[in-house]
Amino acid sequence: MCLVEVEKSPKPVASCAMPALPGMKIKTNTPVAKKAREGVMEFLLMNHPLDCPICDQGGECDLQDQSMAFGADRGRFTEMKRSVVDKNLGPLVKTVMTRCIQCTRCVRFATEVAGVQDLGMLGRGSGEEIGTYVEKLMSSELSGNVIDICPVGALTSKPFAFKARNWELKGTETIDVTDAVGSNIRVDSRGPEVMRIVPRLNEDINEEWISDKTRFCYDGLKRQRLNDPMIRGPDGRFKAVTWRDALAVVAEVLQQVKPEEITGVAGKLSDAESMMALKDFVNKMGSDKVLCEGNGPNPPADLRSNYLMNTSIARLEKADAILLVGTQPRVEAAIVNARIRKTVRATQAKVAYIGPPTDFNYDHEHLGTGPQTLVEIAEGRHSFCSTLQSSKNPVIIAGAGLFEREDQDALFSTIESVAKKFNVVRPDWNGLNVLLLHAAQAAALDLGLVANPTESIKSAKFLYLMGADDVSLDKVPDDAFVVYQGHHGDKAVYRANVILPSSAFSEKEGTYENTEGCTQWTIPAVPTVGDARDDWKIIRALSEVAGAQLPYDSLSGVRDRISMVAPNLVHVDEREPCTISSEVKPPVKQQVSSTPFKTVVENFYMTDAITRASKIMAQCSATLLKK
Amino acid sequence: MAAPLRRSLPSLGRALLSPAPAPARMLSAAASDALVEIKPGEIGMVSGIPEEHLRRKVVIYSPARTASQQGSGKVGRWKINFVSTQKWENPLMGWTSTGDPYANVGEAGLTFDSADSAKAFAEKHGWDYVVRKRHTPLLKPKSYAENFKWRGPPKAEQA
Repeated sequence: MCLVEVEKSPKPVASCAMPALPGMKIKTNTPVAKKAREGVMEFLLMNHPLDCPICDQGGECDLQDQSMAFGADRGRFTEMKRSVVDKNLGPLVKTVMTRCIQCTRCVRFATEVAGVQDLGMLGRGSGEEIGTYVEKLMSSELSGNVIDICPVGALTSKPFAFKARNWELKGTETIDVTDAVGSNIRVDSRGPEVMRIVPRLNEDINEEWISDKTRFCYDGLKRQRLNDPMIRGPDGRFKAVTWRDALAVVAEVLQQVKPEEITGVAGKLSDAESMMALKDFVNKMGSDKVLCEGNGPNPPADLRSNYLMNTSIARLEKADAILLVGTQPRVEAAIVNARIRKTVRATQAKVAYIGPPTDFNYDHEHLGTGPQTLVEIAEGRHSFCSTLQSSKNPVIIAGAGLFEREDQDALFSTIESVAKKFNVVRPDWNGLNVLLLHAAQAAALDLGLVANPTESIKSAKFLYLMGADDVSLDKVPDDAFVVYQGHHGDKAVYRANVILPSSAFSEKEGTYENTEGCTQWTIPAVPTVGDARDDWKIIRALSEVAGAQLPYDSLSGVRDRISMVAPNLVHVDEREPCTISSEVKPPVKQQVSSTPFKTVVENFYMTDAITRASKIMAQCSATLLKK
Repeated sequence: MAAPLRRSLPSLGRALLSPAPAPARMLSAAASDALVEIKPGEIGMVSGIPEEHLRRKVVIYSPARTASQQGSGKVGRWKINFVSTQKWENPLMGWTSTGDPYANVGEAGLTFDSADSAKAFAEKHGWDYVVRKRHTPLLKPKSYAENFKWRGPPKAEQA
């Protein structure tokens, strides 16, 4: 298709491979060029089946477009078309290998971006086919991207197969909340249903890839959803009630408990608006026990640089030595891992890792499993010190799993002393990073949801769980009243006394801050399920029934309030780096313990209420995590 | 960083083709030399649109290129998203019903050549709008010959 006619050249020239030279006379629209393109198109279509009407790629197919633009109006091929056996690449990617035109983009993607050597080309000539040689599932957390990469319908989405045609879908450009990266996505919906999720370009965050969790979690949005407000009766069964009754019951209990017995817990998928409302409400009731799950007992919320990815995701490409402390980026933030891999491939950056044995898809050095190794580096006794010393742009990435450790303060001060020793933080380069785990974490720390979870849950008589399913509820007193506000009937619902249904990220306008401190909005794509409401509206309504009315009743009102607490959260699509250095921190007395670091994400495919409700994610964890 | 490499948009050709933002300027209150001065929201008021639809929040955005490998012919246009989610499945037939007259307008009916003309349109209807930043690819100059460039003897660790 790139064939052009060049004057004084005997044959058409492939413009994609020919550098333009001065004095060249190039003709792009001549009978010769047209005939040459038609010829190429004929060869491409020779073995390509004519099944566009039943092909999932139909309507967004590059080959279809090209043949409309450049192809002939008839075919001359009367022989049998070649047929190729379909390959099984797992529960996500459907293959129809007769449609393959051997462009090998999927092979290049798998080896270069995803970093798995699974796909390859077998055979020669007309026997050429893409495959895994011995049957093998594609074991990458980015494997869904080969669906986009494929210019024809050879690789399509298995869960989406025959569900909808792409011209029926309405695209809504929003962001993903299943991890802390905040990948830019387009949610394609048909009527009231999310049909699929595809990536959209953002060079600063996810480039053009998304992880499989992001892409395929959408069927979780249709299962296990909470429709109506419910109250648990004396028999232990839930009964659906009206909003008025549910809020009245909650407000009545609120009047009976002491202020210091009220605890609010925000979940990992919460948006900034709802966390602001929750914090204001709990504070107004006289308690300061508001927290966000995953932030640990004593989160470093004083300085933004202590919990953000200060280098920024895009600038990781400039790094030449990377030290990963207690983080497994491949499962915690697959897109950040792809960026690190890109760096390693392009510049041979050295990667060292301290933590439990884990999978990496690039060359790395496993230094140790516990904090001792970190101390050795800080004291300059470790062999990796020389690499850090000689590197121009060193990067240290600490996992948010460290927040949960007892010796958190000591660990971070050790990491800071490493940073100081090897000049990691300079005016022109900030290489000291924390890789967060959840979409809500950064905004929660900005807004100051920093209570100690163990203490506040132990003493709670009134526990307000706003989508928090992963906090340990063993310590909740038996007589405590638990309100669960959320969109999925997940773990915490079993302990709840009242359920208030809220909307999921695909149904609401919310502000999220990603791990590098970039504020982004979700935009609603589909209507809410049943009688659900937006999170912040529920808390606003409850505050009025409970007699502690919050001073805002519109989204802009909440955002005004947020701008007073954390102005960076209203500057959308902007990354606001921290300007104060961490040197103002007080000295730490604590000792580093010798307990080795733990794996934080056990199952990449199931980390939150939405992905745990998803059937596709369940299939993935059953087939792909099998060792 | 690589700001000069970002594709400068709109390209010259498109800028020439698209209508100049003159009507947009005419709408603003500052342009007093215009023959007829249109205040924000006035067009919406006289057009008979129900009042609740004149106070809408809309999002002006430029749709991203499709993730599949199609060409870029449709990239660069601007759309208005009416953030319309009032939809339900009709219990009788299973069809999708909507209570929002603008439900299908933004997607199918309105396309603008520039963010400014979309803004002007939203202003004259009195909509409260937000303009979302457009993300463009970072173009890296590459040449095929680079692949065969001599980069010195292979390093020991690479071998």
